[in-house]
Formats: sequence, C-alpha cells, structure tokens
Amino acid sequence: MATVRGCNLPDDLYYNVENNVWARREADGTITVGMTAYACSLAGEIVAYTPKKAGKSIDQNKSVATVESGKWVGPVKAPVTGEIIASNDAVAAKPGTINGDPYNAGWLVRMKPVDWNAEAGVLVTGAAVAAAFEAKMNGEGFGGC
Amino acid sequence: MSPAWRVLDTGVREAAENIALNRTLLDALASGEAPPTLRFLRFRPCALLGFHQSAEQELDLEYCRAQGIAVSRRITGGGAIYCDEAQLGWELYVHRRDFGHADLTAISRRICQAAVAGIRALGVDAAFRPRNDIEVDGRKISGTGGIFEGDALLYQGTLLIEFDIERMLRVLKIPAEKLSDKAIASARDRVASLKDLLGAAPALPEIQARLLRAFEREFGVSGVEGTLSGAERLRLERDLAEMDGEAWVRLIERPTGEQPLHEAWMKKSGGLLRVRLRVDAPSGRLKQVWFTGDFFISPRRTVADLEAALRDSALEGLEGRVAAFFEGREVDMFGLSPTDFAGVVRAALDSQPLAPRTLA
Repeated sequence: MATVRGCNLPDDLYYNVENNVWARREADGTITVGMTAYACSLAGEIVAYTPKKAGKSIDQNKSVATVESGKWVGPVKAPVTGEIIASNDAVAAKPGTINGDPYNAGWLVRMKPVDWNAEAGVLVTGAAVAAAFEAKMNGEGFGGC
Repeated sequence: MSPAWRVLDTGVREAAENIALNRTLLDALASGEAPPTLRFLRFRPCALLGFHQSAEQELDLEYCRAQGIAVSRRITGGGAIYCDEAQLGWELYVHRRDFGHADLTAISRRICQAAVAGIRALGVDAAFRPRNDIEVDGRKISGTGGIFEGDALLYQGTLLIEFDIERMLRVLKIPAEKLSDKAIASARDRVASLKDLLGAAPALPEIQARLLRAFEREFGVSGVEGTLSGAERLRLERDLAEMDGEAWVRLIERPTGEQPLHEAWMKKSGGLLRVRLRVDAPSGRLKQVWFTGDFFISPRRTVADLEAALRDSALEGLEGRVAAFFEGREVDMFGLSPTDFAGVVRAALDSQPLAPRTLA
C-alpha cells in the first residue's frame, strides 16, 4: 500500500501513470480497470459514467469509459489492448461510487487482454508506484487528496 | 512577443457540424497538429444534449421535429440547451500544461473569469457562479462546460445575445408549471440576454472583439485569425460521419420514467412556496429544481442561486445543503425560513410523481 500526498495507491495494482488509471490482474487472466484516487481527486465528484459496451475491442490508451464531473468530461484509457467483458452497473446507477471506493466497488470495466505480457511493460507496479506518482503530482502542482 | 492563438470564426452552422468540429479541433490539438485556438461559432436552431443525457428524458422531440429544430449531443457535459443564431458560442482549445497545474475546477474558473471580463466590457455586470454559469444578477447569460483529451482541453460557453425563452421552454423538459405567461416570467428571472440587459444587442464583431481581448489579457497571448488546416478538414469529415445522424443522438438512451417529475407547495404566512423538480431515480440525485410562488425574498436572485446549488445534487444531505446555502448569506424573507425550502423539496420528493408534462 502506497500513500502519496494523501492519495491511496495500492502497490499490488498496475498503473498507467500518465493516464491515471489502474489495472488489477484477476486469477482467470482478465483485468479490472479503474481510476486512481488521484484522478478522482482532480475530477471532483463524478456524476455520470458511460462505459464502452461489452464485446468491444479497445486499443491500449484508447477510451474504455467516459466520466463526467463538475463541468468536465474526460476519457478513462485502457491500460492494455483488450476486449471489454463487463461494465459496472452499480457505478452507472451511482457514479459517486468511483470517488468513494476507486479500487473496489468503483471499478469501471473488466477486460480480456490480448497480450498482457507484451504490453504491461509500460505499467508501473510495486515499489516504483510511489515515486512515479510523486513525480506526476509534483509536475502537476497537486496539493493532495 | 506573446505566443499566438489561432482565432477561428466558423460562422453559423448545423449542430452536428459544430459538435463534430469540437472533436476535430480537440483531437488536432491533442495530436500536436494544431495550435491553441479560440473559436467563435453559431448554430442553426437546435437542441443540444449534454454528453451523458438522453434525448427522451430532456427534450420534447415531437415539438423539435415539427419545428425543424435539429437535435444533437455535445461532447461536453452538463444540461440540455436550446440554441439558435442569436447566441454566440466561444470555445478555447488549450493545453492543460499551460495552466501550471491539473486542477480542472481552477482551470474552468479561470477561463470563465476571463469570459466574464469580456462580457463586462460590453457594459453588463457579469459574474462567475460556480460551478458552471456566468450570470448577471442571478440570471444566467452564459453556460459553460469542458472536456479533456490527454493534455488537450476544450472549454466552451454560449453567450446569449438574444434569447427566445418561450421556445426554450417548449424544447426542454424543464419542470416549469406549464407554458404560461407566469412560467415565461419566471424563466426570465433565471435567464438574461445582452439585449434584455442593454436594451439593444451589441454588434457581433464587437462582442467577439471584447471576448478575444479578455482571453488575450488573461492568458498573455495574441489572437491571429486563421482557418482550418487540410488535416483538420479530413478529420472533420470523419468526425461528421460519426456525429451527423441518429446513432450519435441515441448513443445514450434512458427511459423517461427514470426521471419522474414531482411537485409540492406550502402555504406560509409570507405566501405560497411551490416547487417542481425532476429526480434521477437510479442515482438518487436532484436533476432540476424550480421554485415559484408569491413569497417575498430579497435579493431576488437567491432563488435562482439556490436552484443552481441544488442542481445535480444528491438527495441524501439535502437539508444540510440548503442550510449551508443560506448560512452566511444576507437574505430577507417575510414569513418564510430557510428550512421551508428544504421542507417543500422533501415534500415533493415524498409525493407521487406527476404525469409527463403535456404542453397545450
């Protein structure tokens, strides 16, 4: 578990730091994708969520869902290439769940990666997580979660 | 020399083309093909949904069809609006890194405050009202919203030069009582155009020049008139193919039954306080609240400000939100208290929903 400037960033997850998204590898080879606590803090309370539909193939760094908060709309980007296999109905009903529990109940989509091993190299995990986000927050002038 | 922003004036266009241009210009900036840009635009008559809204829930589609009013979906969020040639759209396509931080709330505030300065230079007392409105004495004159794509931002607003309130009431499913003189008068308390405020609408070139000047000052740039590049024209063709048609409008479809309309009133010694509101049942949020009645309140704008504060807010914590709104504000009311506003909203929420509105 890493905490950077008050933002919780579990170090067992895989992060695309630039896109502010995480992936969790599930036992069956699929992944769960969501927004980081830092992304949630920047966005403020999320009021709408539209995921791409199950069955759709998404390239790495392309949008798997669109979220809206305050006055802004933004994409959430795929950590790796894969097929969407599920979206989160509970989040669709209550998008604020993303802010409340970004790493568990607030997940955004589940994906079946095409080739995790080939693409996951750009993702940050484990001991490197804290320093990567500290550098990002520093560059973005972020005060804290 | 200060850095240059391209200034585009794309004139009056169909809704789908204007929205496709949003996508085109944002992607062109994000991919490094285009410079930061200020764009002015206008619309042929249209109803524009927020990105996450559904046409059935927000619009009187039958009326739109009968009147030849186009329906489209913005790529930005927020609520549905009615637009025609008498509003001026302004849009900034800029890099997030140029703000020196990633705080989107602060970024939208800064952009809105620049727009406010431009509008004030036209002689009206405009101010920024969080989260998203530019208003004059409590009446909205420019709604705004943004979208980001990586480091690229689009932030846009529509400035009401003149505005057909009756048409807006017919197009949008606003929880107004019905289309009556009273409803129109009550809408006028919430919306204002430059013409309403100044007696005559300033000329379009003057409005554009004032806005440009204000953005140049705020961001330390100079605007240079430009045109769409060849690459952008190609992108536009592709984006228009996606957005010009039913599929884009139907991208999000939700049944009207998910957003029931409720009403309640209470008789107090100060008069009648009535509320109509729309709730998004699945998310448990107030969508829109509309207070009317013959009570006395000063300043008058308090009602519109309270409506803005309650828009899109969770039902949970309603009473606390209303109390917080009144706290620290100088409001004179006669025979009415802040808790009455929360009380009448709660009574409406507890009531049976009304049948869908039909306009005579």
